[in-house]
Amino acid sequence: MKKVLSILLVLAMLFSLAACAGGNGGGENPSGEAPSGETPTGEAQNGDSPLAGTYDIKVWVAEAITDLTQKQIEDFNNTNTDGIKFNATVQAVGEDIVATQLITDVEAAGDIFIFAQDQFARLIQAGALAQLGEGASQIVKDNNTPEAVAAVTLNDGLYGYPVTADNGYFMYYDKSVIPEEDVDSLEKLIEDCEAAGKYFSMELQTSAWYLASFFFATGCVSEWTIDDDGMATALNDTFDSPEGLIAAKGMKKLLDSPAHVSSSQASDFAAGSAVLVCGTWAYDDIKAILGDNLGATDLPSFEVDGEEYHLGSFSGFKLMGVKPQTDVTRQAALHKLAQYLTGEQCQLERFNERSWGPSNIVAQQDPAVAANAGQIAINLQAPYATPQGQISGAWWNIAKVIADEVKDAADEEGIQAALTNYSQKCNALIGVGGYVFVGAWNGWDNADMTHKLTEEDGVYTITVEVEESDYMGGRIVTATNWDTDHGAAQVTTGADLIDMEAAGGDNNIVFKEAGNYTVTWNADTNEITIVKN
Amino acid sequence: MREKKTVKRHLGLRATNAISNSVIHVLLVIISIIWLIPFVCIVLQSFRLELSGPVGYVIPKQWGFDNYAALLRTDFKQWYINTFIIALVNAALQTVIVLCMSYTLSRFRFKMRGALMRLMMILGLFPGMLTMIILYRVLKDLGLTEANAVPGLILVYVASSGMGYYVSKGFFDTIPKSLDEAARVDGATRMQVLFKIILPLAKPIVIYTILTAFMAPWGDYVFARYISFENPVGMNVAVGMYKWLTLDQINSNYTMFCAGGVIVAIPVTILFLCLQRYYVEGVTGGAVKG
Amino acid sequence: MKQYSDLEYLQLSKWKKFCYRILCFFRSIPTALKNFVFGIGRFFKNAALAVVREFKDIFFTFKDGDVHTKISYAVMGWGNLARGQILRGLLFLLFEAVFIFYMVVSGGYWLSMLPSLGKVGPGKIYDPIYDVYVYQYNDNSFKILLYGVLTIFFIIAFIYTWRLNVKQNKIAEDIIKSGKPLKSGRDDLRSLVDDKFHKTLLALPLTGILIFTVLPIVFMILVAFTNYDGSHDGFINGLFGWQGFENFRTLFSWKGANGHSYAATFGEILTWTLIWAVFATFTNYFLGMFVAMMINKKGVRVKKLWRTILVMTIAIPQFISLLYVSKMFAKNGIVNGVLLDLGWIKQAIDFWGSTANNGLLARVLVIVINIWIGIPYLMLIATGILMNIPADLYESAKIDGASGWKQYTKITLPYMLFITGPYLLTQFTSNMNNFNVIFLLTGGAPTNASASWASGNVGYTDLLITWLFKITTGEDAKYYLASVVGIMVFVVVALITLIVYNRLPSVKNEEDFQ
Repeated sequence: MKKVLSILLVLAMLFSLAACAGGNGGGENPSGEAPSGETPTGEAQNGDSPLAGTYDIKVWVAEAITDLTQKQIEDFNNTNTDGIKFNATVQAVGEDIVATQLITDVEAAGDIFIFAQDQFARLIQAGALAQLGEGASQIVKDNNTPEAVAAVTLNDGLYGYPVTADNGYFMYYDKSVIPEEDVDSLEKLIEDCEAAGKYFSMELQTSAWYLASFFFATGCVSEWTIDDDGMATALNDTFDSPEGLIAAKGMKKLLDSPAHVSSSQASDFAAGSAVLVCGTWAYDDIKAILGDNLGATDLPSFEVDGEEYHLGSFSGFKLMGVKPQTDVTRQAALHKLAQYLTGEQCQLERFNERSWGPSNIVAQQDPAVAANAGQIAINLQAPYATPQGQISGAWWNIAKVIADEVKDAADEEGIQAALTNYSQKCNALIGVGGYVFVGAWNGWDNADMTHKLTEEDGVYTITVEVEESDYMGGRIVTATNWDTDHGAAQVTTGADLIDMEAAGGDNNIVFKEAGNYTVTWNADTNEITIVKN
Repeated sequence: MREKKTVKRHLGLRATNAISNSVIHVLLVIISIIWLIPFVCIVLQSFRLELSGPVGYVIPKQWGFDNYAALLRTDFKQWYINTFIIALVNAALQTVIVLCMSYTLSRFRFKMRGALMRLMMILGLFPGMLTMIILYRVLKDLGLTEANAVPGLILVYVASSGMGYYVSKGFFDTIPKSLDEAARVDGATRMQVLFKIILPLAKPIVIYTILTAFMAPWGDYVFARYISFENPVGMNVAVGMYKWLTLDQINSNYTMFCAGGVIVAIPVTILFLCLQRYYVEGVTGGAVKG
Repeated sequence: MKQYSDLEYLQLSKWKKFCYRILCFFRSIPTALKNFVFGIGRFFKNAALAVVREFKDIFFTFKDGDVHTKISYAVMGWGNLARGQILRGLLFLLFEAVFIFYMVVSGGYWLSMLPSLGKVGPGKIYDPIYDVYVYQYNDNSFKILLYGVLTIFFIIAFIYTWRLNVKQNKIAEDIIKSGKPLKSGRDDLRSLVDDKFHKTLLALPLTGILIFTVLPIVFMILVAFTNYDGSHDGFINGLFGWQGFENFRTLFSWKGANGHSYAATFGEILTWTLIWAVFATFTNYFLGMFVAMMINKKGVRVKKLWRTILVMTIAIPQFISLLYVSKMFAKNGIVNGVLLDLGWIKQAIDFWGSTANNGLLARVLVIVINIWIGIPYLMLIATGILMNIPADLYESAKIDGASGWKQYTKITLPYMLFITGPYLLTQFTSNMNNFNVIFLLTGGAPTNASASWASGNVGYTDLLITWLFKITTGEDAKYYLASVVGIMVFVVVALITLIVYNRLPSVKNEEDFQ
């Protein structure tokens, strides 16, 4: 006599559920429809090229070039000899947030997108960059400087196409406030700003990209090795060194000045700044504000203990990535488009319309490019610039904190503490490689290097002293990371020494009794041997 | 003697009253100025022509409607229509849902009532931020993201709106039950009681619910951004306009943002000011009981 | 602590009374917790008993039932159909058919994959003919988890319906035995707008809540037990799998660099979240009440104007007003500009960037700006309530010679507190989860250097909820960690709510209020 409604209710739920789940078996094509090509004939020929067809694609570029990109794709449709036609939806997504947006759902991301170089590692990690084939790699290598090629290279493969080569920074200043002769000295610049009640804009507290400038000045480096999954595996970092300390002292001068503003926006000039450290992209906006008072030059030098250090900079690239596809013709066609969009002609068009400095070697020779004021300043700064290389995605957040800590520091000790803190975090990030046997014996501390396994020919060994406790368990994990774990399931020899029941369904290796054990893990066979000493 | 004293005291009272009233007036003027400054600034900036980025002064040097005209050349119209549709549909459907829920919980005493209310209170304590990821996937599988974000957002807003029944339940609780019972004795069904007796009395809370449901979608940023996934066709005003403040656009679009802000604020403000009376009645009738 | 009798209590001084009440409150917490735990115990005991009862009932219904009843155990709705309740019978039958169809077509797959969350991960192969790498995506852990959970929901619904179907047979048999007629389909429909009207009303809202609130919450709780993150998204760049309690262990025991662990970061943010919630709630509450009293005072002119001006902060979307206010307080923003021009300060104040005293300046400022947003709401509510206070209370107080302050503490405040108790509580919890104000105003700034490494660049004004957001959108997108933190947030908020809620006077007397 009741609950007819409950049934209806459940039915309603069911239908929505069936709608969601309908026919979702295992694998599926995450990208849109693509025409199925006939058996490929090798060389592409007009009309019967296996790539011929219409593809619906989504393209993510910065707002400034959406219209231009739409037009360039039209041009590609009209000129390519493969009969490829793209129905492109060009959407405005800033180069600086591509990775953040993309990481939430790679499937829904743009098929082709432009991103700033600092996001390379994160995009690799997200599986969002398709590797280039041999021909495509050769094209990139032939048309770009070695630095540009290095920017898209990871181990042996290439994963993107360089778009611009001017992703670096230099100094803009207001000539009406700053005398020409002061532009080479940080101290004088700060003085001038303070005297005039103006601000000195340099984005130190919120961006490691700008902050690194001081450290490069004193010759510090931060070089990372990234594996194919985008994870950092090794690090050569000298920020925490006597040179780093000098750099931090220099930075503190600026940080402590009431004139300093941590910002890198062109509009700062309208809000009272007289100096701004920024890149070529801001040129037009600043010109609109300052007019003839606009000055652009290389970064200044700072002085510590009587020595002068010229501020360094990152020189980076904007890159174009192609999203991995499951359909071979679609993938090939997209690569063709990416090659076209990053070719000489398109790069020059971008320069003419938006002053984006080209990465293409031929395009760089163009007289207009060489004469561009922003480009000139970039060139002035070039001797002091460091190629960006591949940097761990997490580094940016770790490094930018230095500024706040240095600002807070009361003395040299405090500054040193900031650097020590930084280097510890960096080392924790790469896990210093290797594996740690975590467990009751080290308080489950996966950064505990005293319980790191020693390696020889892919065989890892550790001797551990297990003390009597309620739960004498643990497992082998990647140092500072919980990602890979090797536990009870892998134990082949010595299984009688461990207690599967106490593990309670966990994969932990739980010893039956206290004592001294030698644990050996063979990475090739993934077998674990336990011997009681 | 005695009479004189009273008079004096009265005078004294009046005098203190006058003083305290003028103090209050001064305070209120100060408060009003503080409250209005940001809005006045936004409006002024929206008329600024000389520079389109943020600047350090308030009064524009060149005035004009160019920023408003510029809005029409962007996708702003689309975002505005989207938000308006969402707000309108949401106001209608959410009101139905909330009223169903709150009326039932206020008037019926059924087996699971207590458990249900407790469960809903507990569910409400979960940080909603987390469920965004999964709601996004569900909507994506239903095809209701990106360009179709508008129905997707409506679906989610409406579907989860049953949780926000507290205020209107509080209001229904204040309507005497004897009214229902009298009608029931006269042979009315429960449904007739609702439509003929209760709803007319509940006008303030109905308007309150419509008003809040209409206003909420205008400000939703985080979830709406997730669902529209960078597709301008599916964005609401908050998501679309927020983009104008990102690093690469703020210098050219800041004044346009202010202009857009004014356009967004106008209908919501007018509506709110017109219906303010009901809002107060609804919220005081309802919130007090929680 | 000494326990006072009523008489002794009345003799205490005011201050002592206050202290005593506070002590009483804290002393009652253990009892409240104990009751809570026992309550859970009782709940499980009762549940177990209920299950046993159900099974017994199912068994005896079968044993004693007629042939139609017995068939109904396999073919749902058979009994209803045989006894002439066509509508019900058909619905039961349809439900069973749909259930079986669903389980065969896809439910079975999701369920079977649930324990492993996927077996074959993604891969790429080089295609020499086209000279490109082609990618293959296989199992999708995310979908498996999602639809696996949905399938379980569905199975539970099916069992419930099946049980209903059994019960109905028994009831029908009883009714026939007693010689009364069974309810027809029309009776059923009529009851839906009358004595079962609440079911009609609740059907839609509850379905929505089930799918769009309960399901996501269950899902997110489960994620806390996996390694779902930016580099294991379950489909594109790798499957994710079950991790047991690993992530909880990470949150509570991982010693990171510099000895600063997730646990410490969590504690730090939780402390600030609580401080923020207390200040945000009570500053708004008292100042809002104060403003309302000012406006309502006899003799104050243009009441409507004042109210209208204040209410504008409610009407104008926060993403506009807050973003603008945030820019106003930038180091080179308008506020600093004006202060410098007036000569009140010599140097620009770095409101959002100063890390001195754990970002005290920014913390105070967000609370102050929150007042700007919050007062109008309280003003409106207080206006309504204050008007409801019987005027004769004040009259008699005046006659007794009570001062304004006394009237406030003896009449206004107690009345307000009594009535708005639950509102204060919900305000408190929603302030703990107040994402908008922090996100739009500061985005968490200034950076908390010592905690920043713990995923997502923690800042001094970050609340737990904004930290959650940063974790999910941060460089590693550690969803599993966000989920663990989310659960912890829930535990904290739920504890506070449970303790306070049950002692609110206006909740205890829900029925009295009418």
